[in-house]
Amino acid sequence: MKRNVTGAMAFTMAAVLVLGACSNTNTPENNNTAGTNTGGTNHNNNASSEPADPFGAYEEPVTISIGMQVDPTDKSLPSGDTPLDNQYTRQIKEALNIDVEHAFTASAANMRQKISLAIASNDLPDAVVVNAMEMRQMVEADQLADLTQIYEDYASPEIKGILDSTGGTALDTVTFDGKIMAIPGVQADADGVHLLWIRQDWLDEVGLEAPKNMGELEEVARAFVEQDPDGNGQDDTIGLSGPQSGDGKMYANFLESKNNLYGFDAIFSAYDAYPGFWIEGEDGQPVYGSILPETKGALAGLRNLYAQGLIDPEMAVREASDELVINGKSGMFIAPWWMGYGPLTNAVKNNPEANWQAYALPLNEEGEFSPHTATPSTEFVVVRKGYEHPEVAMKMLNNLYKNEMENTFDPSKGGPGYYPLRVVFAPSDEIEFTNIAIKEFLSGEKTMDDFADVKGYKLLNSDLENIKSIKQEPYDQWGISTWTPDANWGAWTRSYSLMVGGNPIVETDMQEVPSLIYEQTPLMESRWVNLKKMEDEMFLKIVMGAAPVDSFDQFVEDWKRQGGEQITQEVAQALQP
Amino acid sequence: MRIKGFAKHYYLMLLPGYLWLFVFSIIPMFGIVIAFQYFNPGKGVFGSDWAGLEHFRYMFLLKDTREVFVNTLVIAVMKIIANLLVPLVFALMLNELRITIMKRWIQTIVYLPHFLSWVILGGIILDLFSYNGPVNQLGAALGFEPVLFFAKAELFPFLVVGSDVWKEFGFNTIIYLAALTGINPALYEAASMDGAGRWRNLWHITLPGIRTTAVLLAVLSLGNVLNAGFDQIFNLYNPLVYSTGDIIDTWVYRTGLLNLQYELATAVGLLKSVVGFILISVSYYLAYRLINYRIF
Repeated sequence: MKRNVTGAMAFTMAAVLVLGACSNTNTPENNNTAGTNTGGTNHNNNASSEPADPFGAYEEPVTISIGMQVDPTDKSLPSGDTPLDNQYTRQIKEALNIDVEHAFTASAANMRQKISLAIASNDLPDAVVVNAMEMRQMVEADQLADLTQIYEDYASPEIKGILDSTGGTALDTVTFDGKIMAIPGVQADADGVHLLWIRQDWLDEVGLEAPKNMGELEEVARAFVEQDPDGNGQDDTIGLSGPQSGDGKMYANFLESKNNLYGFDAIFSAYDAYPGFWIEGEDGQPVYGSILPETKGALAGLRNLYAQGLIDPEMAVREASDELVINGKSGMFIAPWWMGYGPLTNAVKNNPEANWQAYALPLNEEGEFSPHTATPSTEFVVVRKGYEHPEVAMKMLNNLYKNEMENTFDPSKGGPGYYPLRVVFAPSDEIEFTNIAIKEFLSGEKTMDDFADVKGYKLLNSDLENIKSIKQEPYDQWGISTWTPDANWGAWTRSYSLMVGGNPIVETDMQEVPSLIYEQTPLMESRWVNLKKMEDEMFLKIVMGAAPVDSFDQFVEDWKRQGGEQITQEVAQALQP
Repeated sequence: MRIKGFAKHYYLMLLPGYLWLFVFSIIPMFGIVIAFQYFNPGKGVFGSDWAGLEHFRYMFLLKDTREVFVNTLVIAVMKIIANLLVPLVFALMLNELRITIMKRWIQTIVYLPHFLSWVILGGIILDLFSYNGPVNQLGAALGFEPVLFFAKAELFPFLVVGSDVWKEFGFNTIIYLAALTGINPALYEAASMDGAGRWRNLWHITLPGIRTTAVLLAVLSLGNVLNAGFDQIFNLYNPLVYSTGDIIDTWVYRTGLLNLQYELATAVGLLKSVVGFILISVSYYLAYRLINYRIF
């Protein structure tokens, strides 16, 4: 009995002080049942009560049990800290009085399967970060809490600002029947632009320029393969890296529209081909890029490169494509701006002369760089239906963003991934803005004080503070010899990505090609997997010479017949205003 | 009476086995209904709407279904045959060895791979057969062009069967060796007296002596006629070899657990069970008719 009373009091206090009014169906009887049944998800803001506090701490500790992705090889936590007890969880406890528990943890490779199982067995953690397909599945299974009111009442102005900056796209993605069912993360636009990374020192060695078009790219790749650019006297260099086995993709697609490493995205766009994306056809109707003749042309081009041994002969079978970059065997690969965070740190540690530079190349026949672009939101925080404190997740996100802006956390004492329920909230132009700011700062045009009022670019301050310790003059050149990464590897990783990876994005006038749609239509749920499998298999076979180029035509026919035609109509309907 | 009490203990000892079978094999069978539903995890098995045979209709429409069934059968049958013959021949050869210590050594070494999981062996085999791996280096020394083995759909089933035999033949050999030691040595002595050579001994004494064991193993392995080895293939395959290497189990895993198409995956799984049941019944009947062997 005593326990009941305490619980009831705890609940009442929490309800009055923090939650704002709980549901309007909250009868006194409900109150007496205490703690466990707090009106579920129906939080209506009652004018008579205090407003919801996005940052306030709970009076009584509140527990949230989450599913979390943990990298088992990560060694960044100081000794004594654990994924459940580290600077992030302690800060959350202190600032919000929230106890975080783990319903399950999984490595990146097993996370998808773990979540699938949680959905199938209807046993979700209180909150978890999921992808678009999983979110949709959960909504259909009616497993998620309605977060519409929570978002209204609890989302911090900063986060609302970032979500609004996407022009409504971010919220549209998570709105089902007019209800917000998840909190979307927002990633920078630059993540969706795939650049050509080249070993500049190899280029100089063979006396060539960065390839402007496909013809020149072939020439460079041949020189890299045949002229022993690493000078070790062995025939062991590779022109262009290819996707790895397992999760490797030849191109990003409308469902996973960004951050494709070691694919051929930039090459496809040089042929004006956009496989995997829904684009406007000649008749103005939506059409799937993979079935267009341009894609056939690009596949034929890639096949030609592969047949000559200019693309990694072990593409699609190799287990880890980054090895070739790290151990200095590959001369080119295609990936987004953030490769400092990718293989380049290890590549430069292995060989301080490895001068990886990024280019917005190759260009198409009109001389344009026309990359496909991504949807800003690919990860979502969802809350289980029936969880007593659905606003906890939102408050943790508010707290995350606030502290990232204030630079509270020290990444060397546990990487940012250890923040529970972390998703990225980045202004869409973060990379471009920071890139330009750093250049203005280096050239002396502006000082730190000029950026004192800039809000929202969360790491700008530390970027500016650190840049001169790792970047040496001349400040208008970016070759590896002008950097001193040994001074601060953490800062170098970020700055090298921002500058070398950001420069082509800032300096190129890009003709961006977005997908008309970034989510599945109803029929896709049952048919897409098999269509996609057919596509992946066929395209790989064409490129690697296991099937003739003309089998592409058969693929197009099969694709249409096995549901592609109907899906295209569905997409057209979904796009009708 | 005494005998009855004695038997009770045996039944008691069987209990954990039955319990295990019930919990892990009988109860999950009710999940079959998912194949006939629009399964909604939120509503569960009891609340989801019925779909009739729709998923089965789509299943037969899919080119994949036939492909994975054919692949599974081809790989599994090749494995069954190879895993019966290779250990048998090896056991006979080992049996002819006169130096006991050498026999023991060989026996120990060849069955070592049995204890490694496919996660580890998969990586090793992929490396061995990679573009710059030992196999291709050997080939290059003999003047062959390098081959990317695991990208060739036509080679994949043979690589799978070959590596499986390499992993398992040592272990299977043990059973035959045990059967060989069960043959009465007096028979050999008598045959030698009558002037029989090694081949005669082999043909008239050794082979008939282990016939029962060989048939038993063959019949038992027929239970696996639709199990082509999920963990092995899962660790070795890639999209390039789907056309010959994708088997029912890997397909069901990708469809059901990675792509959340529970109904279709269950339907294919159910079809596998039905076909498997028929095949096993037929082969059991054949074993009974042809060589009068029965388990029950």
